[in-house]
Amino acid sequence: MRTLKLERPGLAAVAALAIVMVTYPVVFTVLRAVSKDDIGSAFTAEWLVAAVTSPRGAEALLNTAIYTAGSSALAMLLGVGLAFLAIRTDMPGGRFVGVLALMPMLVPPFILVVGWVALADPGAGFFNIVASWLAGSRTTLVDVNTMPGIVWVTGLFLTPYVYLLVAAGFRNSDATMEEAARVSGAGPWKLLRTIILPLQRPALLAALLLVVIMSAGDFIIPSTIGLKARIYMMSSLIWQNSSSFPARPGLAAAQALLLVVVGLACIFLQRRALSRGARFTLVGGKGSGATVFALGRMRYPLAALALVFALCSSVFPLLAVGSMAFMKFWAPSAFSLANLTLKNFRYVLFEYPQVWPSAQHSLLLALLGATASVLLAIALAWYVHRSRGRLAGALEYAIVLPLGIPGIALGIGILSAWILVPGGIYGTLWILLLAYVTAHLPVAMQFVASALHRIHTELEDASRVAGRSALGTVLRIDLPLMRPALIGCWLLMYVVILREISLVILLYNPATVVLSVGLMDVWSSGFYPELAVYSLLLMVLGLLPVALLWKFARFGAEPERS
Amino acid sequence: MGGVTVSGLSKAYGKDAGVRALDDFSLEFPEGQCTVLLGPSGCGKTTVLRSIAGLIEPDAGRIVIGDAVAFDAAAGTRLPPERRRLGMVFQSYALWPHLTIAGNIAYPLAGSGLAKAEIAQKTEAMLEWVGLGGMGGRFVHELSGGQQQRVSLGRAMIGKPQAILFDEPLSNLDARLRERMRLELLALRQAAPFTSIYVTHDQLEAMTLGDRVVVMREGRIEQVGAPEDVYRRPRTRFVADFVGIANVLDGTVRGAGGSSDDTVEVDTVIGAVRTRGWLGARAPGARCTVAVRPTLLELRRDEQGEGRIVRSVFQGTSRLDLVDIKGTRIAVESFAEERQAAGTAVSVRPAPGAVFALLDD
Repeated sequence: MRTLKLERPGLAAVAALAIVMVTYPVVFTVLRAVSKDDIGSAFTAEWLVAAVTSPRGAEALLNTAIYTAGSSALAMLLGVGLAFLAIRTDMPGGRFVGVLALMPMLVPPFILVVGWVALADPGAGFFNIVASWLAGSRTTLVDVNTMPGIVWVTGLFLTPYVYLLVAAGFRNSDATMEEAARVSGAGPWKLLRTIILPLQRPALLAALLLVVIMSAGDFIIPSTIGLKARIYMMSSLIWQNSSSFPARPGLAAAQALLLVVVGLACIFLQRRALSRGARFTLVGGKGSGATVFALGRMRYPLAALALVFALCSSVFPLLAVGSMAFMKFWAPSAFSLANLTLKNFRYVLFEYPQVWPSAQHSLLLALLGATASVLLAIALAWYVHRSRGRLAGALEYAIVLPLGIPGIALGIGILSAWILVPGGIYGTLWILLLAYVTAHLPVAMQFVASALHRIHTELEDASRVAGRSALGTVLRIDLPLMRPALIGCWLLMYVVILREISLVILLYNPATVVLSVGLMDVWSSGFYPELAVYSLLLMVLGLLPVALLWKFARFGAEPERS
Repeated sequence: MGGVTVSGLSKAYGKDAGVRALDDFSLEFPEGQCTVLLGPSGCGKTTVLRSIAGLIEPDAGRIVIGDAVAFDAAAGTRLPPERRRLGMVFQSYALWPHLTIAGNIAYPLAGSGLAKAEIAQKTEAMLEWVGLGGMGGRFVHELSGGQQQRVSLGRAMIGKPQAILFDEPLSNLDARLRERMRLELLALRQAAPFTSIYVTHDQLEAMTLGDRVVVMREGRIEQVGAPEDVYRRPRTRFVADFVGIANVLDGTVRGAGGSSDDTVEVDTVIGAVRTRGWLGARAPGARCTVAVRPTLLELRRDEQGEGRIVRSVFQGTSRLDLVDIKGTRIAVESFAEERQAAGTAVSVRPAPGAVFALLDD
């Protein structure tokens, strides 16, 4: 019972600003999609109609639907399967598989892209070279440049998100609930079917909706391998309609609007599932003593299978990218000592003119963006969960909007608004910073809010009664207690901002190019060994602060006090 | 100085302020005394405490701490908690896990303008006083629950506050430790009396620690008095229940007895009994409610008795018999060992002066 209202005008203003910040992109996307020319001109439905009925638009819709369904299903299968095997069975090496399954979170998605091109290109892909060698003639075993190919890569990329959401539930399920079922006569399979999985239903649904949003709006894979294979999807069409000649921004906005509608519907359903789920998944969570399923004779075959899948999502692509980076050229005959070289590193790191300016932009934006997101998240989390100011309810509703808006669509919304402001931030680094903070604020706020939740309010009350002001209490009690979580949040923001591409692909200009966007240029040049070095550079820059600050950070939800 | 005075405090929660947590609550907490607010959860006792601390803002009323007005709804006075010069002991201890024990205890002194050495010396003295000498460098998780509670007390005391507020401080401890801490608290208070306001739902704590006990119900005061008074002469069925009186019986006033000792004869299922208590002037024939403790009843085997043993339970130091008399269940506690067989015919008589009448509610 916390009713001491601390309505602070400063905090309320920040909250109001945040509400505006996450809302206007949606509004301007809608306005742009129904305007004949720039916003303010006559209304028209022609863009919306064209988005659905034009041959290219209809094709993209169908492709996006197949792609979304396929990669979501694959990610669910792999994520839930690996989590269950690693946590709830006696599969050997379960812990190791669990760590491997989460690795793709550290590996940027374009490492996966470049790596799977290196592994499964119909011509020079490693798997196909091996197959040809075994068969004695040119054989194409796997081809990444197909719909199944991109579904496979995207499914691997999304698996850790499913794993993370589901693993927590498997790990913390209340042992006594399962024991009660066992005592009531349920065998292992009945237990799984009637107790364990139904208890996880909210988490499963939340994971499914998350990967649907992420795959429907994914940009990097459709616009690299997808475009190469001429499989057009919504996100790659939005990019083309917005930035290729002749630009059709109205059509791009209409297509973005379709993605936004799907995304927001998913977010709405996800929130409902989680809030309904809260009443029966908030269990004791001792974890110990939960039933361990015996796999019997299937132990080793399943362990091998799990290991292969886990390796596919990070280790294999990384090895492929790593070896590709040292090749003079990349072709079916590339695997020879004579083809080894360091010149790709020299070229990308020292001679490629775009790399250092864009690296500076990326680092600056990642440092500023992560810091701004965390600071803003602290203020907003405080406003919502401690002050309970007048705008708290509205802010809680509004703040989830960016979660349902794919990066490319958010880019359209921000672009449509700021292009109208003469002398504004359009064309500067500031618009990129604004976009990053807007997109990632919800995650930062969830992170900070959950850390704040773990601080018993009596710890703050005790400080107030002991003579410290509200601000002093925040500084002396709350921030020190939240420090590991805040560092973790900052690192997460830094990493995702550095690798973010869909959000800024429509907002950058030649003077503000960032590393991740530059990747698209290198991709279109088609020289893969340089692309390999470039993507490794991006990964290293992203992981550097993570490696430095890892031990001071906390990412999970383990309790604050022992 | 002069304790804490609360007048006309009201607080409502929820939709359209539908839940009245406090309803025109007024009370004086005299200096140097321990006042215990006793009641079940939701009776408003914690709301009073947190309002005094400044952690809740009441809807109406006035709070004076020492000689300073801390809160006055009408005048718009709202002193923030940090300026009320209070100490508080929380149910969860509320110790800060990122500070050492000494850091926790010294926290209220930081910013007081004292020199570092003086703070360190005061902190060590306080550690000594709460029995944790030499442990100042440890962290909270290295301490047992009882030790944590003492750190919490040290932190509350060190700033020489005008009053110390206790919010169910012992309810997180196990039964044995709770008893020890209760006696330790009593010893500390007797050594150096300080104004304290103590919230609990445990009648034993209330009786042991309180100079005065305030029984609360639904945001109002049900009864105020010395522990002995409340224990021996509860005003209502609610208070009787709360101080552990199991037998509440319906009765009919037979007629004013000896007016010299203000007792009245009342007819009940256990026969005519002489009754003291909150009868006021009641006409013969009026209905009334009387209460009697299970330990103050005497059970006798009696072939003619109208009581029948329902169950007889061995409890260690005593035996509890449940007796049915004309459909009314009565509990009798006695220091006998052998259990009675169910169905045994018995009669039940109260000890002299054991029965008292309650105000109707």
